[in-house]
Order: sequence, then structure tokens, then C-alpha cells
Amino acid sequence: MYNNFLEIQNTTFVASKLNKVLDFNLTIKNEGDIICLLGPSGIGKTTILRSIAGLQNIPKGSISLKGKTLSSENEHVEPEKRNIALSFQDNSLFPHYTILDNINFGAKRNRNSKYNFEAKELIKVLHLNGLEEKFPHQVSAGEAQRVSLARSLMSKPDLLLLDEPFSNIDESLKVELQLNIKKILKTNKITTIMVTHDSYEAFYMADYCGIILSQTMKQYDTPYNIHHYPNSIEVVNFLNKGILVDAKVLDDSSVEHECLGIIKGDFVKKYPKGTAVKLLVQPEDLEHDDKSKLQLKIIDRKFRGTNFIYTLKTKNNDLIPVFVHSHHIHQHEIEENFGIKTPIYIDHLVCF
Amino acid sequence: MFKNINYWYLSSIIVSLLVALPILTVFASFFGTTSEYYELLRGTFLITYISNSIIILFGVLFPTFIFGVLSAYFVSFYNFPGVNFFKWALILSFAVPAYIYAYSLTAFFENFGSLFALLKWIFGEGDYNKYIPKFDGMMGAIISMSFSLFGYVYVLTRASFYHQSHNLIEVSKNLGFSAKESFFKIILPSARPAIVASLSLVAMECLADFGTVSFFSVSTLTTGIYNSWLSYDDLNTANQLSFILLLVILTLFFTENYSRGGAKYHQPSRGFRKIPKIDLQGTKSFFPIAFCSLLFFFSFIFPTTQMAYWSFKFPKYFQDIDLLSLNLNTLFLVLVASLVLISFSFLINYGNRVSKSKLLNYLSLFSISGYAIPGIILAVAFITFFSWLSEFLTLNFGFISIKRLFIGSILGLVLAYFIRFYSLAFNGIKSSYLKINQSIDESSYLLGYTKFRTFRKIHLPYLKDSVFLISVLIALEIIKELPITLILRPFNFDTFATKAYGYASQDLLEAAALPSLFLIFWAGLFIFFTSKYILSDK
Repeated sequence: MYNNFLEIQNTTFVASKLNKVLDFNLTIKNEGDIICLLGPSGIGKTTILRSIAGLQNIPKGSISLKGKTLSSENEHVEPEKRNIALSFQDNSLFPHYTILDNINFGAKRNRNSKYNFEAKELIKVLHLNGLEEKFPHQVSAGEAQRVSLARSLMSKPDLLLLDEPFSNIDESLKVELQLNIKKILKTNKITTIMVTHDSYEAFYMADYCGIILSQTMKQYDTPYNIHHYPNSIEVVNFLNKGILVDAKVLDDSSVEHECLGIIKGDFVKKYPKGTAVKLLVQPEDLEHDDKSKLQLKIIDRKFRGTNFIYTLKTKNNDLIPVFVHSHHIHQHEIEENFGIKTPIYIDHLVCF
Repeated sequence: MFKNINYWYLSSIIVSLLVALPILTVFASFFGTTSEYYELLRGTFLITYISNSIIILFGVLFPTFIFGVLSAYFVSFYNFPGVNFFKWALILSFAVPAYIYAYSLTAFFENFGSLFALLKWIFGEGDYNKYIPKFDGMMGAIISMSFSLFGYVYVLTRASFYHQSHNLIEVSKNLGFSAKESFFKIILPSARPAIVASLSLVAMECLADFGTVSFFSVSTLTTGIYNSWLSYDDLNTANQLSFILLLVILTLFFTENYSRGGAKYHQPSRGFRKIPKIDLQGTKSFFPIAFCSLLFFFSFIFPTTQMAYWSFKFPKYFQDIDLLSLNLNTLFLVLVASLVLISFSFLINYGNRVSKSKLLNYLSLFSISGYAIPGIILAVAFITFFSWLSEFLTLNFGFISIKRLFIGSILGLVLAYFIRFYSLAFNGIKSSYLKINQSIDESSYLLGYTKFRTFRKIHLPYLKDSVFLISVLIALEIIKELPITLILRPFNFDTFATKAYGYASQDLLEAAALPSLFLIFWAGLFIFFTSKYILSDK
């Protein structure tokens, strides 16, 4: 039949004259995978979804689904013939139909689908009960977004595209919805590409994440690897989950930092002895120890509920984040000193 | 896909060309040759035509400004007994075209007219004629037009007052301004764009008026155009006069469009609160009540009553006039014209939407200028063009004359209505279309609906209210329309407007009363259906 479920090859996506994504490659091998595309706003993520859906043409490359080419330089299958659903970020409900009619609007298309859920069920898990007879202008933005999601699911597409599906949804409901939706997508094996700028959301939902920065897909990997093995400085900066400090390679398993001293660990990539590198230090890499000789000054403290993130300043003005459990016995105030357990050991030494 | 787009372009171009036809014809004729009549005219009557047009223009602008702005001010800022009735009742003046107002005015004040009969009934026999003022000629035309056109100023100014920021008025109070001071320093200046726009509309209608000035035998540019065509059979002179008039009208058209843009600019988008009205009771409410009552009486009750009175005073016309065929003719024209107008407006709007072409958008902008062109100019230019085309085809290609197909036929009449009212239909549908997000269309495609099914399931049901509304507005315009119908209608084909005009121009006002009454009735009914929209605060 076909080798890969979805294949996007060397494709250029044009959002506007100045804003393009070039040479984009994406392969989804297995049906039912969930892919998250992460990137700053305005980079062209939505354009990628729109082009896959067939709402925009692509000037270069090809997109094929289940072995059938949908878009290329010369070919363009109309959106209504693709069986790909896109849930828009902004309100795209049909204003003159009720919520229930909206949800069922595309339901007739694939009656014999393998997917096994009904409108009633979706209404329940998406917390839309009681809205069935209302009209789109009578519901909130978050509700409209969920209705749009339900409508896309009800059309039982081969490929589901979600554009920031949780952007208007309350924090409290978000986690539960993510759980419910992931369950539906996984049990029914609905292949999904989702666009978001929230990395936590992406890490939770996705089997694979793609990071799109400055016109290209910088990294495509599992969420774990994206977090722990970012492949470029840009990705580190974008994820903003750690900082880069200057260090020098000592031998196969250690580097030296002017202030933190010797740091041991496994190199992700080998460097010759003596190379000056930038080392990635993430909040979870360092451990707190009051008795340690290595003391740094606290310049900021963020309370995150389950944990604190202290920002420490070294002599050479690096600002190092350190993660401490919320129930840690005592708190440290700003301007106080903060001890770090030595010797420092980091599982994987990510250097650039 | 490209095939489809070509159809969109083609239909857009055809419609734009068709609508631009009168303007192009008039401009082309400016360089044509004329008969000696034009020389004669230029030496003698041209100055009179122009000066009469100007006198009427200013004569009408002043009272419409006072009537419109004051009434809008009262109903927007004050609560007094009957305010909700007046708010609505004042737009009924749209049901009485100026020429029918003119018939009523004459019928009432003429020698042995209604006023004479009234005085006789009250005071007995007497020689009242010499005491009764005569409102005819220039004076009559100005009065008739003022009462039938002030509605434009009222409606637009009221909408602008409605959107006036509440803060602005509170600030003026806070600064210690009296009601009079805030009116002149705050309220009136901030409504200026709307007032200018509405006065430009009044000016356009006033200059375009044919029925009233023709009835009162005032020689203006429009009657000049009509006479050069009818009496002297000189289309070129008619078109050259049209050229002069058109220049003035187009200036007004752009003023109006520009001011409308300004009016929008002045509307606060956020933090909008309704202005709380001031309650007026007892003697304080006397002036607004008196003003609105008199305005309502003179603009609607007076002409309607006069026409009703004569219709029943001379019942023989109920038999003489074929009312059934007048009703059917009007209904037929309204139905056919609305159908064609709405279909094409849909087609072009839909084409603009799915093709997203900028060129198409510009073309459609070009094609909405038709509304600015006075009916008389349009009709004469229409005849000019099709005579020329027919001659051209006969001479060069040996066609049989196609003139009869377009001039004096239903087809030609509908085509001319199309040119005149296309912008009304197009803009109406456009503004409703703008309310449907593009992503709504796209969602529908993605759910497996084709373009055609999206149109049928999404666009049509969503737009059906505005289609109804636009049809009624078109109906209202067509039923009141006089010069185009008069000139282009088939032989022996009459609408209420032409029938009434026909009798009135033969000095048979008592016969004109019945068709006039019917016209007011139908127009009033249509206004009733659309009042919510006319008074909508958007």
C-alpha cells in the first residue's frame, strides 16, 4: 500500500511575501501518531496546516497522504476531497446553525469510518453539555473552540489538524481536555498534527515534536529528546528551559566552568580537549546543598507551586536557574547565598 | 480552477461596463456634434437652467438641515410623550416622492382646491381664492423637495447622534456647558460628517429631481435634458447638459463617500454606552412635540390625506384607471429587477470572495457608481448608447436594428434599473458577506462540502434576511422611480408613478390622486418592513 502515512517533502510554505517556511520535510510513519509543531508566533505554523489541508497552494515540494499526492507544484486536490479536518484557532462556527448542528455538519461524510465515537460522547468529554441548542454567538470563545474541535472530530478525518486548540481555554479545564482528547485520538488512532506555542502542551500531547525557527524546521524528535538534547542554540533559546554558560572541555567526561568548577557527565557530542564550548545548564541539573562550599548569590526566586526556581548569579555574571522542590525545608531569600552540591554531575553534557 | 476564475472576471467586467455605460456615453458625447439648438440654448436658457438648479439646491438644503438635525436631536437626546412614535413616523416621509408632494400641494392650495373647499365648508360661500397663497413654481418645488428629502438628514444624523460617545457629553456637562452650549460645541460638530454626507445625498436627489420641477414648469438642467431629447430630438445636447450636471453630482458623490468614511471614524468602537435621555415633561416637552408633530403632519399626513380625499371625492377614476394592471406592472418590474439585481450581486460578490482577486475588487468598486447618476441622465444616455450601437451593428455587420429590443421594452427598463440600483444591491450583499469569516467557508470545504454546497448551505441561509431587506429597498426605489420608467417604458405600460405623472402633466390632478395614493400606500408598506433597518444604529 504505502510506506509512510503522511509525507511532506522539500516543501515551501508561503504565509506572506516575507514569511515563508523553506525545505520542510515531515514524515509520519504510523497512523495514529500525534505530531506537535512548536514555534514562535508568526513563523508560518498556521500556513503549514492550511497548506496540508489544501486551503493554500504550495510553490515547491509535495505533500502526500496514504501514498496519494495531494499537493505539489502541479497538483492540487481540492480541500473538500482530502478528508483532512482543520480546527481553526479563531471562531469558524457557522453562525446560523446551533451548536449541535455545527458539530454534526460534517458527520455525514464518513459514516462507515473505523472511528468509534458519537456526537453525544464528544459533547460530554469536551464539556459542552447544555449548549447543544444555543447559537455560536451565545457561547464563549473557549466553548466555540471546543465545538470546532468536536466538529472536526465528527467528520472522522484521515488526518486531523489542530491550530492552537487550547489557546482560549481556561487553565483549569485545559489539563482535563488535553487528557480526554489524547485518549480519543489514541484509542481511535487518529493521526494528528497540532500547532502550539506552549511547549508543555506539546510535550504532553505529542509523540514527536517539530521546532520551527527562522524559516525552517530546526529539530524533529520525541519530546524527551527535544528537551534534553536540543540540537542548536536557537532551539535552546526558544524553549527557554536552561541557559548556556562558557566552559572548557577537560577530557572525555568533564568540562570546567570558571565558577561552578568541574562538571562531569556524558557528552552528547565529542569535543577535543581544551575546546571552549557553551554548556547547557537546565534547572534540574544542579542540586541544592546548604553545606556545600560552592555558594552563589540569589537574585530572583520564582514560586511555581510545585517547585521554586532560584536564579543564581556567578562571578562572571552567568544567571543560573536551579530547581528546588516546593516542600524543601526552608526558603532562601533574595540576596542570600545558596549552596550547590559538588561535584556537579549532569547526565548528558549538551555543548555547542 | 482557472476556468472558474475567468468566469468571475468576465461577469465582473460585464457588470462594471454596463453600469459605467451612462457615464462613458455622456463623456463621449461631450465631444459630439450638436444641432443649432445647443447654440441657441447656450445663448439663452443655459444660464437660467443652471441658476434655477442652484436656487432650488440651496432653497432645499437649508430647510432639510433644520428639519433633519432638530428632529434627530429631539428623538435622540430627549424623552417626551410620543418620542418612540415620532422616531419611526418621521421616516414615513420617504414614502412620498417630491413630485407627489407637489401634486398634493397644488391640489390643496389651487383655485377652488381643497383649502377653498375647507374654508367654504366652515365659513360658507366666499371669494377665498385671492386670500389663499399659491405655492407653485420655484417655491412649490422647494417646499415639496424639502419635506420629502429631509428624511436623509434625519436618519443619518440620528445614527451619528446614537453613536456619540456618552463620555463626550458627560465631559461637556462636567465642564459646565449648558444644554445649548453642548449642542453647538460638542454634539453638532461631532455629527458633522454624517450631516455633510446626508446633505450631499439631499443635494444629489435635489439636482436629479425631474418630476417636481417638470410639474411646476421650473426650467432646470433635468428638464432641459428632457426637453432637448423629447421636443428637439437632440440627444447630443441632452448629453452635454448631462455632462454639466454630472460633474456637479459626481463631486457631491465623492463628498458623500468621503464624509461617510469620516462618520465611521468618529464612532467609538469600545466602551460604547447608550446615551441616557433627558426626560421632558409638561410645558418643556411642548416644543419637541409640536415640532415633530408638525413635521410628521406636513411630510406625511398632509399629502396622504389630500390624495385620499381626492381619490374618494372623484370615485369615477376607480373605474377609469386600470388599477389591477398598475399593481401587476409594478409588482412585475419589482420582481424581475430584484431577481436580476440580487442574482448578479451574489455572483459578483461570491466571485470576489472565492477568487480573492484585487483586480475584481477594484472593478466592482467602479461598477457601483450608478447610483449617483440621475435617472434622467441615465435614461437619455441609455437611449444614446443603444441607438449608436444599433446603427453601428446595422452599418458594419448588417444586423437588423436592435434598438427596439432595448428602448421602449421591459428588457431595457430592467437593464436601466439594474444600472441605477446595482450599488444598492451589491453593497447590501457585500456588507453581509463581510460578516462571514473566511475560515467559515474553509471549515465547510474541509468538512467535505463543495463550493456550491457551501454557498447553498452556509451563504444563502445566512444572507437570506439581508436579501429580503435589499429586495424591499429596491422595490421602494423602483416604485418611486419616475424619469427612467417614463422614458424607457414600453408603449402603454404604466406604473403608479408614470400614471400619476401623466395625469398631473395634463392638469388632471384629481385623476393623479388615486395612483399617487397607491404609490404612497405601497411605499409606506415597504418602509414599514424595513424601518428596523433604516433606523438601525449601524
